[in-house]
Amino acid sequence: MKNQKLGTLARTAVATCLAATALTAATNAMPFSDGNIVIKAGQVITLDGEPIENGTIVIENGRITAVGKDIKYPWNAEVKEYPNSVAFPGFVEALTNSGMDRANENIDVAAFLNVKDSIDPVSFYFEDSLRSGVTTLNVQQGGSCVVGGMGYIVKPVGMTVEEMTVQPNSGIAMSAAPKSGKSRATQTLALRQTFDDLRRYLEGVVQEKRDGVDLATREALYQGREADEETSKGRPMGGNGWKVSNLEMIPRWEIDEKKAPLLGIVEGKTAVFFYCSTPGDVQTAIRTAKDNGFLNRTVLCLSSGCWKAADLIKQHNIPVILSSVLTHVERDPVTGEEKETFVPAVFQDKGVRFALRSAGTSGKSLWYQAALCVGHGMTREQALAAVTTTAAEITGLSNRVGSLAPGKDGNVVIFSGDPLSVMSNVEQVVVEGNHVYDRSTDVRMRHLETGAQPENTSAEMETGTPHKHDEPEEKDDKEPDEGENEEEKDDDHEGHEDEEN
Amino acid sequence: MIPLTEALLAAITASVPAPTLPVAVEATPVAEMSVYADAVYTGAGETIENAMVVIADGKITAITPGAEPGDEDLHVAAITPGMVDLSARIYPDGYSVEETEEVTPWIRVDLSLDPFSRDWDRQLRNGVTSVVASPYDNNCIGGLSVALKTGGSNSIEARTIKSNVALRGAIGSQPSSKNHPAFGRPTDFYSRRPTTRMGVEWTWRKAMYDALQAEGDKERAFDGLPQLLQALNGDLPVFVQAWATQDIRTAVFLKEEMAGEGKPNMQLIIDAGAEAWREIDFLVRTGTAVVLPPYRASGRTTDGAFFAADCAAKLDEAGVPVALSSHNAKAGGETLGQQAAHARRGGLSFDSALAAVTINPARMVGIDDRVGSIEVGKDADLALWNGTPFELTSRVVGVVLDGELVNDPRK
Repeated sequence: MKNQKLGTLARTAVATCLAATALTAATNAMPFSDGNIVIKAGQVITLDGEPIENGTIVIENGRITAVGKDIKYPWNAEVKEYPNSVAFPGFVEALTNSGMDRANENIDVAAFLNVKDSIDPVSFYFEDSLRSGVTTLNVQQGGSCVVGGMGYIVKPVGMTVEEMTVQPNSGIAMSAAPKSGKSRATQTLALRQTFDDLRRYLEGVVQEKRDGVDLATREALYQGREADEETSKGRPMGGNGWKVSNLEMIPRWEIDEKKAPLLGIVEGKTAVFFYCSTPGDVQTAIRTAKDNGFLNRTVLCLSSGCWKAADLIKQHNIPVILSSVLTHVERDPVTGEEKETFVPAVFQDKGVRFALRSAGTSGKSLWYQAALCVGHGMTREQALAAVTTTAAEITGLSNRVGSLAPGKDGNVVIFSGDPLSVMSNVEQVVVEGNHVYDRSTDVRMRHLETGAQPENTSAEMETGTPHKHDEPEEKDDKEPDEGENEEEKDDDHEGHEDEEN
Repeated sequence: MIPLTEALLAAITASVPAPTLPVAVEATPVAEMSVYADAVYTGAGETIENAMVVIADGKITAITPGAEPGDEDLHVAAITPGMVDLSARIYPDGYSVEETEEVTPWIRVDLSLDPFSRDWDRQLRNGVTSVVASPYDNNCIGGLSVALKTGGSNSIEARTIKSNVALRGAIGSQPSSKNHPAFGRPTDFYSRRPTTRMGVEWTWRKAMYDALQAEGDKERAFDGLPQLLQALNGDLPVFVQAWATQDIRTAVFLKEEMAGEGKPNMQLIIDAGAEAWREIDFLVRTGTAVVLPPYRASGRTTDGAFFAADCAAKLDEAGVPVALSSHNAKAGGETLGQQAAHARRGGLSFDSALAAVTINPARMVGIDDRVGSIEVGKDADLALWNGTPFELTSRVVGVVLDGELVNDPRK
């Protein structure tokens, strides 16, 4: 059906529409059921206890109600049987800057923005995530900011952000790494000023209220804000950082909407995803978080060179999200020798909780990253946790995703074999009890594998702009955040230039 | 740095009077070592479980099955032959080329390689013990490639397995990519031909026909003629970069054209043949070998060529000799072993994947008498793995090069 529709489209529009069509195809072919499904698999890796041979997963209304061997399920349930396959929890992408219109804002302090307004449901990124078994993604603004917008946790299924939503307002991005073109000193100053400004503003509002000059109310009315039961009341400042006394005098709806998200950070209501690109940035991030009382809500998003700050991070017991570049390469400034450090192993040894990020989509997704960790001596359990349970914990979703247990979201990936083997494929994906991906009907996957053209489509998809010679060419795999690292770039800013060119 | 330090040390040692202890001078002991593994993948058609590879004087002297390692012995999960990368892309002078002419078959890359480049060690520590270094591909016919070891001696000469193993060149957009015509702007290095893909093809054909005409005619002799004739006569493989279908076809048709001119023995190796899967019949018909570029998740590569994941598997199945390459994987980038893993994911069997990074490339350039498999009498080049090779969950943790443990997995 999809192909017929496609055939009538203008050739020029094909490329743009394919993404949308493929997504609808997935959903059209397998229409949303009511979130009720029973999955039987040769092996069920729950990540919540031992794997179960010939296990059954019962999902009702989108939630898992039972996992085990020989368990009962409703007689009329839709049963999917995969006797030769492995059922696995959907992967959790703890941080991504993809799937958005653009990853970074020009405004330094943009806490009032929300990536919800920027997420593109038909982005190829989401389709490709699903293909790799990623069922939960924390979409955050990129690192080129001082304070970024509010993030959103989504599933890679749905035609609107509302449909995709797993958890709105998952946290705000901040960066200790300088915005492009700025220096570290400017960045640090900007971070400090952001909260100084907030404090001054709050003190000013309180003072005005005391003086009987009710500018805040007038401004709130002017902006068209309305009070509800919750915000019509004032309450004392929360959190465990600095305090502005008498803030209870100010009904919360009167607080400037550009400042309110920052107050949410200081009061410890909002998680902070703090980008750091050098070990020094870690120090800055920790200081900022400590000074403003949100250290216990902070997650550090690290470039690979930041492994050197692992002790400091452990000392403050902060969880981290590692860069997609797992091996940090450093060139000795004197001898020119290259030293490679496998970053996840460092954090594992120090006992810091960490999550991994994909290094691209279909090719080097989370399974790939976890497999590399095993190759570098981590246990399978440790490696898998970093892409499932720990990632869920760090993003505040441990009660919903990351493992197959009763009460959790019905997100199941069916692998053809060991999830970490290069020989295994994602065959099926179930998200919240709905069967949303089937590899046997995935025309794009077939194209990547065999070069076969999907019927009635243009072959133009494959011939992009010719790449330059002998340069790393996986431009499509990039994470478009400037403050963070990309796969190709040596991600730290320590001045390693490639010796070639 | 290093040679200087060594020279200094040598000078210092020389200046110190030798101790006059009455030590009996013995004959240099034979450097012997053995490595144990749960599985030895010999690359010569068999996998031996629980075996010991015995090495003496840089050569493999025995492969003993059923050996029991002691606690002190070097014991790993798996051993494969040291890998061979024909398209290592380690260049002298960075990414440059002799720009005086676009056809320079007489230029030898081995005379200008830097033995201290970090690129060698990057290959070596990932289990690649032999590579072919070629001139950069901004010339149509760039010059003569060399097969050499990635470590050991500080001299390129001593590391060389075989000089002049192939005549390297390129078809496609790269040789013309920086050139421009000499008119309309100030003359510079790049005011030269060819300026188009058509021009590249023409340059190749002209070189070949010039050689045919000059054969046996001293009046017409020119620089590079001996190398071109060697190539036409099949004594020197022609190693051509051709990513996209049309470029692979150009190379293959050129070979057939030369066969029509009485030169049927030309050996062709396509490098970076991302789109070779589209032209399998031609490749089989002409007996052409293919070296594949590194895996790309998106399939998109240079010159718009689409690199299907099952390319290696398809070629192998059709009987086309196939090798994999890492293009000098950046530090932290994907290694040759990982390329083999990706090829397996694309459907290549384990044995063929092993061959594609060991004996196949060695055969293509005629160095298989020394490297490419674990057999008695061959060079003791071994990659030591911490798990099943060609899985992402395992990697090369140790390397033996010419009988020397250059990378110790116990450290």
